[in-house]
Amino acid sequence: MSQPFIATFGFPVLSDISWVRSVHLHDASGSSGKGHLFKVWLKGEISGISYAYPSGRSIMESKSIYPHKVLPYLLLAPSFVIIGYFLFYPTFETFRLSLFRLGPFGIRKLYVKFGNFIDLFTSADYLQSFKISFLFSFSVVVFGLGVSLAIAVLVNRKIRGINFYRAALIWPYALSPAIAGALWVFLFDSSAGYLNYFISVLFDVKPKWLTSGSLALVVVTAAATWKNLGYNIILFLAGLQNIPDDIKEAARIDGASPFQVFWKITFPLLSPMTFFLLVMNLIYSYFGSFGLIHVMTEGGPANSTNILIYDLYRQAFINHNAGLAAAESMILFALVVILTGLQFGTSGRGVHYQ
Amino acid sequence: MIVFLTLSLFFSLIVTPVQAEIKIKFWHAMSGGRIDLLKGMADDFNKTHSGITVESQYIGSYNETLNKTIAAVKAGAPPHIFQLYEVGTRGMIDGGMIMPIGNIAKPGEVDWSDYVDAVMSYYKINGKVYSMPFNSSTPILFYNKTLFKKAGLDVNKPPDTWNLVREMGKKIMDSGAAEAGITWNMHSWYFEQWHAVQNALLADKGNGREGRAGKVIFDESAGVNIVKWWTGLEKDKIYLNVGRGWSNHRKAFISGQAAMMISSTSDVTQMTKAFNEKGWGLGTGFFPRPDAVPRQGVVIGGGTLWLTKDHPKAELQAAWEFLKWISMPEQQVTWHKGTGYFPIRKSAMKLLEKEGWFNKYPNYKVAFDQLLETKTSLATQGALIGIFPQLRAAVQSGIEKVYEGKATPEQALKEAAAKTNKELANYNSLFK
Repeated sequence: MSQPFIATFGFPVLSDISWVRSVHLHDASGSSGKGHLFKVWLKGEISGISYAYPSGRSIMESKSIYPHKVLPYLLLAPSFVIIGYFLFYPTFETFRLSLFRLGPFGIRKLYVKFGNFIDLFTSADYLQSFKISFLFSFSVVVFGLGVSLAIAVLVNRKIRGINFYRAALIWPYALSPAIAGALWVFLFDSSAGYLNYFISVLFDVKPKWLTSGSLALVVVTAAATWKNLGYNIILFLAGLQNIPDDIKEAARIDGASPFQVFWKITFPLLSPMTFFLLVMNLIYSYFGSFGLIHVMTEGGPANSTNILIYDLYRQAFINHNAGLAAAESMILFALVVILTGLQFGTSGRGVHYQ
Repeated sequence: MIVFLTLSLFFSLIVTPVQAEIKIKFWHAMSGGRIDLLKGMADDFNKTHSGITVESQYIGSYNETLNKTIAAVKAGAPPHIFQLYEVGTRGMIDGGMIMPIGNIAKPGEVDWSDYVDAVMSYYKINGKVYSMPFNSSTPILFYNKTLFKKAGLDVNKPPDTWNLVREMGKKIMDSGAAEAGITWNMHSWYFEQWHAVQNALLADKGNGREGRAGKVIFDESAGVNIVKWWTGLEKDKIYLNVGRGWSNHRKAFISGQAAMMISSTSDVTQMTKAFNEKGWGLGTGFFPRPDAVPRQGVVIGGGTLWLTKDHPKAELQAAWEFLKWISMPEQQVTWHKGTGYFPIRKSAMKLLEKEGWFNKYPNYKVAFDQLLETKTSLATQGALIGIFPQLRAAVQSGIEKVYEGKATPEQALKEAAAKTNKELANYNSLFK
């Protein structure tokens, strides 16, 4: 049984720390000992950096009784204080704010119960945001994982200069979202961008990459996917290198084609990493892509790249509507909790731990 | 946050407090060369006013400045003076965090009659002045005289009506002088100005000046005509669509991609410099109006300076001294020459005329003339609406929808108005 303990982000003004710790307990006599996944990630509008420390450690089951009664709590107290102040308190505050309608400085307020939520769910623009976010997220996760897995497989060999290639592949991940966004704008700006210069010379058209609704979403999705490839590649690489060669050797001797070796052996053994990256990319696509969108399209044109986190930013920092923004924050929180919960719920079946 | 802390630490180390007893924090949104200009002006004030040190700090855009101020207010350390765009006026009055200038000015202390009428008609609400006007602008047409010549157009006759813009823009494109006839950024400001030019209102209750505005009316015929013309130009590629933000249209104009540009008069200095470097001739003209409508005028744009309350009396008084000082004719002349914003004092304008400034630099004069010829009315006084950001977002989205053929101008504006009205009703519910 697993006991997910999920604490969430508060108001996105601060850089928020979101903590998911889930402990999978398996029968100690089974082939898989105890493993645990421990994730910490940092979200905020400043950077979309995610830290993750996956480990497949197995913890020795200990039956000795820990002699101290109070010491554990004392040792944990600092962590609880910090988590309480930076996670729980903002979360409760956000929830409280979401029940109010507030003036620009927060001085005038009106208690509206769930009025903000009703306003959001009856707003065509907000529902549109939902739709766009789903599309965006789905694409970023699926293409992100697909492409990076392919690249990781290609890069998983010992050829000359392989370290250079690997470093070059992770480089985009290290860029700040603002700079990455600026680079993509230099390329894709419809009147002054490099790409359109070449296209106009060859074909005499200048596609409206960032000023046409459908194209803008495609470009922004591509940018967000590209930005996170490095991270996925490095982790997939680690996962691939953890697969012992003798299993694959044995399969090859038995006459398996490379295709079969990959899909029947490599991919299943990679599943803990894939699952982990699935969750990380989901979080990234919902929260981490804010900076890129802000620089590239500001949610436009005509709200076509206005994903949920961007709409939240707009309500909070452009419209100065703190109550509505808090409500959006709560909705986004609930959405990600549900999605992550679903993933953990299905994980037992698909994921093979060694 | 870290940058701000480092900057303020750095700054406080540089501004050695020799005699400064009162430190006044002045947060502004004037970027580029204007940062140093304002810093220089603050230093001048500090030199001549012992006991007060004004620290001028560039925060970012108007919006970022407001956000920072809100956060600072909540943290209990607000700046004394902050700058905000003109349309934030209703929101700030409602906000409850500002000290109205009218409350701190002693009767007769300020000669309001010396202030330009159009400026005061915007910022005086029910006879009271709430903020100190500072950087006022109007939209004007910039044009590339060199490219005009290339296209065979009269370099002294910029288009001042919609039909002429289309005609001359098309001629420019056909002659190959430029890729597009005209450009301006996707911003609701122009939409609002084109209302004023037609003497049309944006909101009910006399544009929000005869009572609290309850609904917007920008989806009527005046607004529809604007969007029809605007999107029509875009469709025919006479108008170059450079998206949002304030830098792209300037870039397109400076690079010669577009032969004309509509922008704020505060760009004159920057454009003059850029065109001098390129050896091109720069011309300016009035904001183009619809042919069928006589020119009513424009609304002043730009920003204004607000005092926050919750400071000790001595500090408020010191900040007020600075506000008075910076709106003196000499300072306004300095500010005008360095930017292109027009001085808000009639005596400052007279100073400039006396030294022959406008004869040397006629491009600066256009903004003045346009303002002096503006006929005062509720439309040109400017609308007072508490939720301008939402209004602008709705209008901009609506126009972009028409670009993509997803709505007609009428539909797009109706939708935008409906959205805005809903938010306005919510906003107003706070003040019942």
